[in-house]
Amino acid sequence: MPDSEKRSPVTIEDLLKLKRAERPSAEFWNDFERELRQKQLTALMQRRSWWQDLPLLLSRRAYLPAGAAAIIAFTLVTVKYSTPTLSLLPEPQSQPAVAAASASLAGAPVPLVVSTAVSSPLVNRKEHSLPIDDRVPISASNYPAAAQPDLPLLVTVESRDELTPSARSIAANLARLEQSEPELISSVMGNRLSAAIKPATDSGAAVEFASLSSPGGRRSRLLAQYGEQTLNAGPGTSEVVRERMARRLSDLNDGDRFTRIGLKGDQVSLKF
Amino acid sequence: MNLSKVFAKAIITSPERQLEADHDMLVVQRVQAGEVAAFDQLILKYRERVYGVIYNLTSNREDTSDLTQEAFIKAFQSINRFQGHSSFFTWLYKIAVNTTLGHLRKNRLRSFFSLEKLHEDNTNTEVIEQLTDKRGADRQTYLKELQEKLNEALQKLSISHRTVITLFEIDGLSHTEIAEIVGCSEGTVRSRLHYAKQFLQGEMSKYLGS
Repeated sequence: MPDSEKRSPVTIEDLLKLKRAERPSAEFWNDFERELRQKQLTALMQRRSWWQDLPLLLSRRAYLPAGAAAIIAFTLVTVKYSTPTLSLLPEPQSQPAVAAASASLAGAPVPLVVSTAVSSPLVNRKEHSLPIDDRVPISASNYPAAAQPDLPLLVTVESRDELTPSARSIAANLARLEQSEPELISSVMGNRLSAAIKPATDSGAAVEFASLSSPGGRRSRLLAQYGEQTLNAGPGTSEVVRERMARRLSDLNDGDRFTRIGLKGDQVSLKF
Repeated sequence: MNLSKVFAKAIITSPERQLEADHDMLVVQRVQAGEVAAFDQLILKYRERVYGVIYNLTSNREDTSDLTQEAFIKAFQSINRFQGHSSFFTWLYKIAVNTTLGHLRKNRLRSFFSLEKLHEDNTNTEVIEQLTDKRGADRQTYLKELQEKLNEALQKLSISHRTVITLFEIDGLSHTEIAEIVGCSEGTVRSRLHYAKQFLQGEMSKYLGS
């Protein structure tokens, strides 16, 4: 029997294994090595783009601290922008309270609970209830002189629920005005207004003021102008101030909640 | 030495392969520590096998040379990312195969052969003897024709089928290793392998025994 007949037939696997014999010569590898070395050095010198290192960064175990830092940063930013930023109240100072005046502007007489923290002719005793008549224009002369002017006066306004909306808005506006133009207010109304106004709910006043400010662009601009201007004390300052305030208040009358605002001498009148 | 045993699938889980993998890991750790020259040992060890894989996928020796260098450069650049979850050999093969597949997809319309010389040695003499009883120039002509026909048949396969049959039949990798390199399940590897063999048998029937 011939040897070819004894051999097993050639299979596709045998043919594929023939491909292992398809290989380059030894000289090929010398050139290959030299070229690879050059490319290796080029790769070492070459700067990788930032996006080429991204998979490397992602493969590292930096997920947890990076994620925690991102969450904390996001939480802080969210909390910061979600809290009300508008602050109407100045720092507590030894100035007369304006709460009684603002309550008087609100409408119906509202009992005002006041505790003494700042010297003021308005109230000179803690927990002193002060009925106020809204028909009486606010003026320095209307308020009795302080029996004990040295006593500190801290004026607190009743909770928001006990004040009418207009009273709250007026209080907010006056507080804002006093904050932006303290010299103006003090020169007009004297030391009758206290900066230590602390409404029970600050956010309520802030919201009220915000609702007033946002619709009126002109009003906002005018109020902003108050903040830009500085009053220089000097001869005739009160006249200048009075004139300026009269002009500003007449501008504020347009489209404002107050129907009429008047300035007479040292008095500011609000009529409804 | 019977190379068919060397490429047998049963060796994949053998202690020798494990020993080889452990040795490679030590060299990789030296490279990762900054000893760049240690990478040359890995190049010297695997360059022919990587070249073979890429050549059998492309059937073009010029492209194979460039792609082999590119594969080693990529492995060198990302050596710090190798964490030893698989053997260095498998990881390197994965880089080589992915680099080649990317090249083939880009140059799908341009395909011409540039074949290496088929070296007749102890490993394939028996098969060649079975295929032809010709001698001299006729033998060389016959082998050249056989080589071209075989490469043509392989190139007719899809890239995925070609990859699987190259890694299994030519490089002798196991189904598990191929699945890891290609990124599919073992069942998919077996399925593609079966189809590729059926196809090649039809294409090469003239050269196959009954």
